[in-house]
Amino acid sequence: MRQKATKAAALLLSVIMLITVLAACSSNNTGNTKNGNATNAPAEGAANEGTGTKTGIDTSKKVELQFYMLGDAPKDLASIQEEINKMALEDLNATVKFNYTSWTDWDQKYKLLLGSGQQVDLIFTAEWTQYQSYAKKGAFQALDKLLPVAAPALNEFVPADMWEAVKIDGSIYTVPATYKEYVTDGFVWREDLREKYNLPKPVDIATFEQYLDGIKKNEPAMTPLSMNSDVKTNLMDRFRSITHSPIGALPYGLGIKYDTPNDVYSYWGSDEQKEDLTTLQRWQDNGYMVKNVLAVKDTLQDQITSGKAAAIIGDNPNRFNDMVIKIQSTHPEWKLGYHPFPLTTGIATPVHPIHNGFAIPASSKNAERALAFYEKMVTDKRYNMLTQYGVEGKNYEVKDGYYSMIGDNNSNGFPREGMNGWAWRNPEFMLFDKNYDGVKAIFDELDKIQVPDKFTGFAEDYTAYQAERAALEQVEKQYLFPLQAGLVKNIDEGLQTFLEKAKQAGLEKIQAEYTKQWQEYVTAQGIK
Amino acid sequence: MLGKNGILKELVTNRILFLMLLPTLVFFIINSYVPMVGVYYAFTRFDFNTSLFNSQFVGLENFKFLWQSGVLAKLTLNTIGYNIVFILLGNTLAIALAILLSELRLQWFKKLTQSIMFLPYFVSFVILSVIVYNVFNYESGFLNSTLKQFGAEPVDVYNTPWVWIFLIIIFYLWKNIGYSMVIYLASITGISEEYYEAAKIDGANIFQRIWYITVPMLKTTFVMLLLFALGSIMKGQFDLFYQLVGNNGMLYNTTDILDTYVYRSLKVTFDIGMSTAAGLYQSLFGFILIMTVNYMIKKINDEYALF
Repeated sequence: MRQKATKAAALLLSVIMLITVLAACSSNNTGNTKNGNATNAPAEGAANEGTGTKTGIDTSKKVELQFYMLGDAPKDLASIQEEINKMALEDLNATVKFNYTSWTDWDQKYKLLLGSGQQVDLIFTAEWTQYQSYAKKGAFQALDKLLPVAAPALNEFVPADMWEAVKIDGSIYTVPATYKEYVTDGFVWREDLREKYNLPKPVDIATFEQYLDGIKKNEPAMTPLSMNSDVKTNLMDRFRSITHSPIGALPYGLGIKYDTPNDVYSYWGSDEQKEDLTTLQRWQDNGYMVKNVLAVKDTLQDQITSGKAAAIIGDNPNRFNDMVIKIQSTHPEWKLGYHPFPLTTGIATPVHPIHNGFAIPASSKNAERALAFYEKMVTDKRYNMLTQYGVEGKNYEVKDGYYSMIGDNNSNGFPREGMNGWAWRNPEFMLFDKNYDGVKAIFDELDKIQVPDKFTGFAEDYTAYQAERAALEQVEKQYLFPLQAGLVKNIDEGLQTFLEKAKQAGLEKIQAEYTKQWQEYVTAQGIK
Repeated sequence: MLGKNGILKELVTNRILFLMLLPTLVFFIINSYVPMVGVYYAFTRFDFNTSLFNSQFVGLENFKFLWQSGVLAKLTLNTIGYNIVFILLGNTLAIALAILLSELRLQWFKKLTQSIMFLPYFVSFVILSVIVYNVFNYESGFLNSTLKQFGAEPVDVYNTPWVWIFLIIIFYLWKNIGYSMVIYLASITGISEEYYEAAKIDGANIFQRIWYITVPMLKTTFVMLLLFALGSIMKGQFDLFYQLVGNNGMLYNTTDILDTYVYRSLKVTFDIGMSTAAGLYQSLFGFILIMTVNYMIKKINDEYALF
């Protein structure tokens, strides 16, 4: 019995060894061929350009492109895709499959899409999907040589300074969107309640606090501040952006003021931070936010539109407008107020070109065709209108130059920008809802005090401190989040514990390395 | 050479049996053995542009984040601690309940109880976390509303770490007890009636019958379930912990297990090398544990061992 088992085990082992060897070989092969293709691609394109074909690329072989966007697909996607494919097959001998990740765990899925080596030809990029880091690590293909060949019209369409702005280490890795908007934050509050109780209009932290206090006293059933467990982004980053005029949402407890980009200081442990934490503790003690804020999973916006909470410390004009529209239909007697931070701080930065874009992952074998297709999506009105607004007459109609949805969000299978097509918006074709005039008014106001974004173009390379970074993230969650939520009684002591743990996790190494990279960037770009 | 002949001969004589074994073998080779090649990721720096074996070898660097902030010991302890309680308490209670149910004579009542106890098994942890929040949140939770009704001081459950040790164990039992109970119930049904009849004739009362017949007969089932559970002792119950605790750093000291820690770390710093390293640590630990326990059991009683 025993002997037999040994034999079987030996057999099994040899089979495994064999398979291992085979697997290794095959993965090596794919690696090589991929590299081979990449180097050949521009040469092929250049050769074809001479023959004067319509697109300048070889379209003799039919391909299916895998297109990936974040979020949820609209209900009518299948029929839109069919229409697009009819045109794409004729123009480029290609079909496309539009894939959506849904918002649940999108960040993991995104990372897997890029890391697993599966075929992805076009994927959405933004600074909040870590475009800069991925590009630096080689997750996307460089487009510089490909653009004039495969997408000459797109190459012309996007202004040169935008191409310049998305460059990472001297190469273009994404096609930026050209529509100019602001995603700066601003106070959001229930204006009807402010009028009712004669509270001050929030323009800075002091007046915002007075507003919260007034709500607490007059509306005991309501939570004054809408907040959830992500206190780092939703509370602290916004708090800092209105009080300390930072250059951007800086990681690792660093601080850089907008006016002095060369001076990097440690915000963690500074008097500035202690002051902020004292304010937040007061907010917690006075009951402006719920005690179990770290266990809340609702979005900030839902808490406002459902009437549970009265104010958000910071949200962008677009989302503010969405809430206004939602409340109009559910509670017409409510009113919302908005005060953009830039009006107080003077720092109104239009979105950086990195904010919306599409890249071609390293795993794509059809880079040329993908880029040519994306050009169609942006510059060809038929493609663009169809993928932004759906079918005219079925999904939408144009009234007095405004976009008008047919039916409502439930009956209409393709709402405005239903495919989350922020990246392929074309200002020449764009249609706006009448409700959007509010946002445009805010944008106009911000246009007057516009200043350039100095931060987003920076690409952090955290390879050198990857382990420390992961460890620090945990220390922050465990020791800093409770402080930020105002739940720690003794701030000095709590901060001390946090800093000790952070140091243990390698904070100093991270800060030093980040600072070094940042200063190199500032010098190289001549940012002042 | 001799061995090879032996294997061939064996294959020929029992070919039908081996053929029946084949699908299972293929299943495990594809799903368990081939992916093991990927273990190598744990020792390389992940690169989008080269294949696995061309990546840069970095030794143990990927494991660094596990001990970087000095939490590894605490995490390992928490993980094992919770799992030991889950295994012991879960099995004891399941055995007790299975025996109680098997002694019930009222058929419809027995079936009904069994179904009700089984139901929580189908409740997702996401839903559970919502229920828990609505019961325990400070301002408007069910618990505090009730306490206020009676004029008592409200309690702040979400900021009291020690309470969660009990809550997590209770919710684990609530969800899983019905399932393991059914397994034990099945083995009780398998015990021959003759034993009980013989015992009755000898004058054994119901407690003696349970203690001297049912319990010993369940030992094999228990040992087997124990060994299965031990293999994944380092994995713990990710959904349970992650859904109930989530981002609430206040509770991490008592509720953080390896799985949740690894998940949270790599959610921000996604790196295939580091995730593989964490997985390898868990698997290796589980492997050593199961080998040791199995060895010990084999020493005591050869029949109960898994292999």
